Amino acid sequence: MIPAEAHGTIALRASACTSCMICVRECPTWCIDLVSHTEQVSEAGARRPKTVNVLDAFRIDFGLCMYCGICVDLCPFDALAWSPEHDHGATTAAGLVQGIKELEMAWPPTQPPTGN
Amino acid sequence: MNSHGRIDVAPADWEQVVSGLQREGFTLFDFITVVDRGSTLEVVARVVNPVARVPTMVWTTLPADAAELASLCSIYLGAAWCEREAAEMFGVVFIGLGDSRPLLLRASLGEPPMRKSSALVARAIRDWPGAAQSTDDGRQGGNPSRRRQLPPGVPEDFLRDEPLVSGTTGDER
Ligand code: SF4
Ligand code: SF4
Repeated sequence: MIPAEAHGTIALRASACTSCMICVRECPTWCIDLVSHTEQVSEAGARRPKTVNVLDAFRIDFGLCMYCGICVDLCPFDALAWSPEHDHGATTAAGLVQGIKELEMAWPPTQPPTGN
Repeated sequence: MNSHGRIDVAPADWEQVVSGLQREGFTLFDFITVVDRGSTLEVVARVVNPVARVPTMVWTTLPADAAELASLCSIYLGAAWCEREAAEMFGVVFIGLGDSRPLLLRASLGEPPMRKSSALVARAIRDWPGAAQSTDDGRQGGNPSRRRQLPPGVPEDFLRDEPLVSGTTGDER
């Protein structure tokens, strides 16, 4: 029986991620990597269009991740959280790299995010 | 009873103080390890009085560029393992340590890897994912007006000459 508060994996909520790069820069093992681009969004009533980051790819290499949780703690937007999901099995090293799809499958976490 | 007793000694008194503790009943040697404070290295030995169940930590401070200390092997035979490890990982020279063969690393490796001044080769041969800016113009070679970001823990002169920002990160998922 896996306890609900288990640190099984890191889950991503891509819609909350602003591509701020904080987790990528602070990860001690350099195992997070993201790709984003900017888009102009016009809002009714606004004088100028707003520039927003759009997340294209977000990957965690669980072959390198040491489950320190620094990314979860530092994400200012609660886009990362611990999840008790733990099924990382893969037959190749490349298979341990999880993208948005896999990372979102572990969301929602069964406990609230521990971010700020 | 203070269960976290701490004794600070001068390097010259290291062996004598630990030897005194052993005679007082601290007959169990636990470990020796090192903390890198930059210009100094702190060496700590933990010994235990197994009857009273009291541990004590003995600390001493060495200059990082001349880190020499008497070996505790004549007091606790088991200290040899920890001293060999501290020698290999932090470059502390233990005087009187009979067997100073490295435990894990090749002797030719150079800078002891646990010293903060030792940069990981793996960090220099790989692009830092954090070098990319959070917008796509950063991805495509970087905006020269932006301050170049350096990964934490990597000395400036350790990096290669090529730009840190790589053009692509492979398949996008
Ligand atoms: S848990 Fe630690 S090692 Fe793993 S991705 Fe987060 S910051 Fe990196
Ligand atoms: S710290 Fe959070 S919001 Fe910022 S890039 Fe990482 S997951 Fe996205």
